[in-house]
Amino acid sequence: MSAKLKNKGVVPSITVPEGGKWVTTARQTAADLLSETGLPHRRDEYWKYTDPSTLTAPEATPAAIFESDEALPFADVDAVKIVFVDGVYDAAQSDALELAGVEIETLADAAQKDIHWAGSVYGVLEGRGQNPVSRPLASYNTAMAEQGFVIRATGKAAKPVSFIYLHESETSDAVIHHTIKLDEGADLTVLENGPAAARINAVMEVEVADKAAFHHVRAQGRDHERRTATHIFTRLGTESSFKSFTLTVNGVLTRNDAIIEFTGDDAHATVAGACAGDGAFHHDDTVFVTHDAVNCESRQVFKKVLRNGAVGVFQGKILVKPDAQKTDGYQISQGLLLDEDSTFQAKPELEIYADDVACSHGSTVGAIDETALFYLTSRGIPHKEAQDMLTLAFLGEAIDEVEDETLADDLRALLEGWMARRHG
Amino acid sequence: MLEIKNLHVELEDEDKQILKGVNLTVESGKVHAIMGPNGSGKSTLSYVLSGKDGYEVTDGSAELEGTDILDMEPEERAAAGLFLAFQYPVEIPGVGNMTFLRTAVNAQRKARGEEELSAAEFLKVVREKAKSLKIDADMLKRPVNVGFSGGEKKRNEILQMAMLEPKMCILDETDSGLDVDAMKLVADGVNALRDAGRSFLVITHYQRLLDHIKPDVVHIMADGKIVKTGGPELALEVENNGYTDILAEVA
Amino acid sequence: MAALDDVQVKEGVDQETVEAVQSVGGKYKYGFETDIEMEYAPKGLNEDIVRLISEKNNEPEWMLEWRLTAYRRWLQMEEPEWAMVDYPKIDFQDQYYYARPKSMIEKPKSLDEVDPKLLETYKKLGIPLKEQALLAGVEAPEGDRRVAVDAVFDSVSVGTTFKDELAKAGVIFCSISEAIQDHPELVRKYLGTVVPQSDNYYATLNSAVFSDGSFVYIPEGTKCPMELSTYFRINAENTGQFERTLIVAEKGSYVSYLEGCTAPQRDIAQLHAAVVELVALDDAEIKYSTVQNWFPGDEEGKGGIYNFVTKRADCRGDRSKVMWTQVETGSAVTWKYPSCILRGDDSQGEFYSIAIANNMQQADTGTKMIHLGKNTKSRIVSKGISAGKAQNTYRGLVSMHPKAQNARNYTQCDSLLIGDKCGAHTVPYIEVKNNSARVEHEATTSKVDDDQLFYCRQRGMDEEEAVALVVNGFCKDVLQALPMEFAMEAQALVAISLEGSVG
Repeated sequence: MSAKLKNKGVVPSITVPEGGKWVTTARQTAADLLSETGLPHRRDEYWKYTDPSTLTAPEATPAAIFESDEALPFADVDAVKIVFVDGVYDAAQSDALELAGVEIETLADAAQKDIHWAGSVYGVLEGRGQNPVSRPLASYNTAMAEQGFVIRATGKAAKPVSFIYLHESETSDAVIHHTIKLDEGADLTVLENGPAAARINAVMEVEVADKAAFHHVRAQGRDHERRTATHIFTRLGTESSFKSFTLTVNGVLTRNDAIIEFTGDDAHATVAGACAGDGAFHHDDTVFVTHDAVNCESRQVFKKVLRNGAVGVFQGKILVKPDAQKTDGYQISQGLLLDEDSTFQAKPELEIYADDVACSHGSTVGAIDETALFYLTSRGIPHKEAQDMLTLAFLGEAIDEVEDETLADDLRALLEGWMARRHG
Repeated sequence: MLEIKNLHVELEDEDKQILKGVNLTVESGKVHAIMGPNGSGKSTLSYVLSGKDGYEVTDGSAELEGTDILDMEPEERAAAGLFLAFQYPVEIPGVGNMTFLRTAVNAQRKARGEEELSAAEFLKVVREKAKSLKIDADMLKRPVNVGFSGGEKKRNEILQMAMLEPKMCILDETDSGLDVDAMKLVADGVNALRDAGRSFLVITHYQRLLDHIKPDVVHIMADGKIVKTGGPELALEVENNGYTDILAEVA
Repeated sequence: MAALDDVQVKEGVDQETVEAVQSVGGKYKYGFETDIEMEYAPKGLNEDIVRLISEKNNEPEWMLEWRLTAYRRWLQMEEPEWAMVDYPKIDFQDQYYYARPKSMIEKPKSLDEVDPKLLETYKKLGIPLKEQALLAGVEAPEGDRRVAVDAVFDSVSVGTTFKDELAKAGVIFCSISEAIQDHPELVRKYLGTVVPQSDNYYATLNSAVFSDGSFVYIPEGTKCPMELSTYFRINAENTGQFERTLIVAEKGSYVSYLEGCTAPQRDIAQLHAAVVELVALDDAEIKYSTVQNWFPGDEEGKGGIYNFVTKRADCRGDRSKVMWTQVETGSAVTWKYPSCILRGDDSQGEFYSIAIANNMQQADTGTKMIHLGKNTKSRIVSKGISAGKAQNTYRGLVSMHPKAQNARNYTQCDSLLIGDKCGAHTVPYIEVKNNSARVEHEATTSKVDDDQLFYCRQRGMDEEEAVALVVNGFCKDVLQALPMEFAMEAQALVAISLEGSVG
């Protein structure tokens, strides 16, 4: 297949951090792979629409801090709050790492040990996600990350774990790696919000065992100049469920990869996102769903609102392996261009090797619906407000994918507030 | 015409017995009705007789004019003269109703070693038969059952029956989803086909269709078996008292 | 879309489906070989071979230079690997690049002088080279529907029918080799302006070694009085066919062009790398229909044609229109993306495709719609059918440039799977750089519906017949876009191509 990195980019010379046996093995494996693939390059098939050079550069491009007196997203949610400042865990600002049914430990502590359960997840799911498409930024992360958490849910968590990523230094460069394992029947929600740093490379590996359910809701920080590359790798057991939603407003460059693999029958995964970009904004969602089990359902729902030269990219793939019968794969990507300067690029792929499947994808790009706009304005709603209403309605369809009503309402309120502020 | 003996049928995918020893003989030229509550196995019987996948015959036999049909392919059964008017006729996008009908008619003629109908002959016959069922030219042009109303679909089934001239017609809940006028139209179509050489097995949940298609024999089916057999009066009994009494009586 | 509105054609096609399906029996029925004395250029490729091809065609110096430039570029290029096809490395030195029947060395002045063996070949293929006829076996829907044919046998054009009558209307329809000699000014003006010499690996190879093909020129304001058709036949062994087609439709003109292809059944795969260039000026319309039935290889994947084709239309003029319709049933490997560059304001591009891959066939095909002009419109309807162990990929690009104000695209891309050993893939690229443009893309993949098959079988059809009927229904939107003769041939082909795919 052509998706492999053909043009070997820069191979960084790296020395993996010291640690216990399990983590050193994982880090070295990732470092070895990276030296084979090199860093991503614009000529690579899956970097065709996004220039990775500022993500792979030795130094982070400085990014101004976004000043705001708004409350942080999910501020009112009762959760175990874990705070990072410029990519470094800040215990003082965080809650105690205590939650019934859940073990929470820093990666740094876990890495001291020679044997740890995290060895079955850390670098393992990421490694599985390297084929057929190489993901060198994730290899780099696995090799180098010293910040992050290892979390194991053994039952139903009483409340979510909420990561808050504060950005205080204009030149900070963060690498964070979370390792999450849900045992059979466990149920866990992870929230994330904040810009984290001038540049962040984040990886989250999530092992979802049989009958377990994982929920993930993320609001990426509003700093205009931040650069973000994230990867989520997940492997799903029988009758398990995985739901991830990301809201992005602002950020000069965001690349979110989600790599989902079904290995147990009758499982469900949803990965969804809504983004609104204005001006220097480049947002790329790249999703790869592999169905390797029977009767699983996957949904991808992505909506992007773009203006003033903003660029939205969606690359989504559903791969159905030969014996993954009864697969139901759905994918929709939509771009709303609010002016003439914006760009939406999509590559919605299906690769199907089983016959008893129902897979579909749709993609639309266009301007705001003039008829609807006229209808609203004819009822006396000012033009800008009407436009906002329609824009919110458009993004709302993606937010509907968030199961938890409180969280969904929170996201809608955030979006509404931000829209309103724009007009001052 | 049709002789079913001790027919036992299970679902292929799960270990579930649906028919538990059905015995039924339909004589030439007669109309038999099978009534019964939901889940009694009526539709399964029609699918097994016509050869749908997914069922396993574990015991018993079914013969059409003395020939065992259970090992035949669906199209061989059709060519032998078995016709099923489906409860839910399937939509086939892109395939014109006329094309479909003509392919079916000629496939059966060919299988029976008969001359195929020419386009002109075929057209003439179809138009005639369609007219009596109030099927207009537009319906014939449209893809098979696509966008048809419930009544149109059922009329289309009867048109196919009229064109294919089968010996043994099985009508599976043909009255479901029909209003009174549509039911009358369908029943008239069926009655027009009644003939000494043709038999009918009318499967229905309600008595009302039998007001229009008068049966010679009525069977009550429950839990995969025929539990009671009688004349047309049995249908009226069901209408008045429901199934509960009859089932209690035979239990 | 004219074709969709034409209910007459639709109904006609409808009623004839079955007859057509039944009348064409057997498997690949064009697999015979014509035993005829051939003249070959030496095997392999080098500058001398390029010179020789040019010399055989009595070409002027500029044409030779053009070929040599392409050849030198080709040497520096690499074979593309991005398509989802997998085939053994082609040894480009183990091919003949020129083969012509010996009887064609002295070009026959009229069809009467053509070697009877060649005429017999075309007769067997159902291609009429006598001017009285239509495509064989098809009745005329109206009184005087006629098709002019250019027949290309291996590297040379055997003959072109109705030339005189077309000339009266000012239409030029001849082989490209003749056009280079007789109409050098036209060829020079347009050749390579749509598909540049160095466009891609195979197109560049073609530019260096193309031997023949068709040339069509429709003068301003002329509606071509009949359909034009080129029939390509590969006969010789180990011989690549590299034809080049150039169609120029002047302002306000119209032409419908049909292309058919077959090849003998052989164990060794053969190479076919064609280039087709269409130029549509203001208000011109070109309909280009292909029924591609090259030998697909046997059930084990032995033999067959490697079909690497570059087809592109330049809608250069305002309000110009190009419609590509293809039925791809043959070839072992297909790599083909008929495209439209919508340069003129209000120009339109349409692409209708049926691609069937059975047994070990691999198809990677689709289209590119490049919207440059204002109010340009494009429509893509692709129906892919995979059976056996075949792999079938739709690959497409819809690009809306910043200046393509109010441009519109609609894409519908459906895949049907028959059996659990085959694959169906969809790789669309959508690039939108202006907000007045609107793009809608939909794709579905599903298996052939068991309930539909059972319904057909209950009515007496056997399984293959039922599959053919359902698949033809699935392809309806595309079949309707074909000229009637081709529509019927295509329906029959759908049935034949799927033989052995069920049960």
